[in-house]
Amino acid sequence: MTDKAPFIKIRGLKKSYSPEIQVLKGLDLDMYPGDRIVVIGPSGGGKSTLLRCMMGLENIDAGTIEFDSKMYIAGKGVGKMNDINKSVQKQVGMVFQHYTLFPHLTILQNLTLAPIKSRGIPRSEAEDKARGLLKRLGLADKAGAQPSQLSGGQKQRVAIARALMLSPNLMLFDEVTSALDPELVNEVESVMMQLAEQQMPMMIVTHDMWFAKNIATRVVFCAGGVVVEDGTPEQIFTNPKEQRTRDFLEKILHTTESAA
Amino acid sequence: MSYDIDFFYALRGIDQLLEGLKITLTLSAVSIIIGVTLGFVVCLLLMSRSRLLSFPAMTFIEIFRCTPALIQIVWIFYCVPMLFNVFLDPIVMGILALSLNLIAFNAEAYRAAIQSIPKAHLDASVALGLSPLQTQLYVILPQAVRLALPVLVTNGISIFQQSALVAIVAIEDLMYMGKMLSTETYRPIETFTLVALIYFAIALPAMFISNRLEKRLKVA
Repeated sequence: MTDKAPFIKIRGLKKSYSPEIQVLKGLDLDMYPGDRIVVIGPSGGGKSTLLRCMMGLENIDAGTIEFDSKMYIAGKGVGKMNDINKSVQKQVGMVFQHYTLFPHLTILQNLTLAPIKSRGIPRSEAEDKARGLLKRLGLADKAGAQPSQLSGGQKQRVAIARALMLSPNLMLFDEVTSALDPELVNEVESVMMQLAEQQMPMMIVTHDMWFAKNIATRVVFCAGGVVVEDGTPEQIFTNPKEQRTRDFLEKILHTTESAA
Repeated sequence: MSYDIDFFYALRGIDQLLEGLKITLTLSAVSIIIGVTLGFVVCLLLMSRSRLLSFPAMTFIEIFRCTPALIQIVWIFYCVPMLFNVFLDPIVMGILALSLNLIAFNAEAYRAAIQSIPKAHLDASVALGLSPLQTQLYVILPQAVRLALPVLVTNGISIFQQSALVAIVAIEDLMYMGKMLSTETYRPIETFTLVALIYFAIALPAMFISNRLEKRLKVA
């Protein structure tokens, strides 16, 4: 895999929310074409911040993110605005933990708002695409519904569809099943599996280790603001090299088992 | 008590009261229109990043929210002409006083609504490639207006009632006409009961509409 140029190249990524709280401490990560990366690690370790930085939602202190060998985001120092390549940003889609559907719009309008307003796609074309996506995700009958009429799992599937409307080349999933009731997790994860089968490049933050094993081509263990260990799911879950990874997995697998 | 309740005289003056009601409704309607629009403008100033804009807006809002409306009316009516040498039609003065009060309260209603929209919606808008202006226009403001609407209606009903205070500066509104009629007829109980009923008959349906609106616009 090292013979290919990285699709995403992150170097020296630093992000602090205040001088005392430095979340990312010079993180390096390469994502290669065909990679589906699942980021695991303790809370406060910087997983979500990493994804937020990759979406351009956070102003980074230092470091660079390259996308397909093009400069995407470059930190200019603490408190200074990033250089951000907007045309690259348009290729990145993100789904959040709390759905963030716009409650004043119908499901169809939630899907078509951005394509129409920010991409200038004609309404009829956007609506056709939206209906097609909703159908694929098993939500064909919900086009006219309000977000408040949907279950959490349905909302999250709509949120995924909304991101897909913009035909992203990279999808970021930030703990998208964490807020869901256990019986609704599966419907969202299976939509993500569908995307995986279509070779959508993805970076996923999740606490669901079973899902991580199934969807990932690579697992990245992130703690203390850096990548501690990086490997295939088999290697990370069965034979972690680093003590911190072992400790984390022992703790989390133990809690999941005792909860089950 | 040997007072015989008799609405005859009060009712005979109903035309006079209805004339007053016209003034009351004019004062309220114009103030509400000004309050809803300029309240939004003041809210934008208040939320501006520039302290040059936000500080005066905040000062204005707090002065009008933290002093009695009665004093605002009296002050504007007597002090503005003396201080600035402007003499306006009493009704215009009344509208000015009531509008300034309503602008302050409505600006706060808009601010509370805008700030109650989860920050996550801003993140989602960035992720969807919406510009900051598009985010405000299509995501934040439509939600904020829905959230603010019930409060705006309540503030409007409240200004309709507060408008009775302008009677103190001799604007011939419903309250003022009621006072006149009660002195003319020596029937304060009947007259003021009738006046109260007129206010009630207008405010109650408005209240109902407000409650219905609140239920209908509730967004989960």
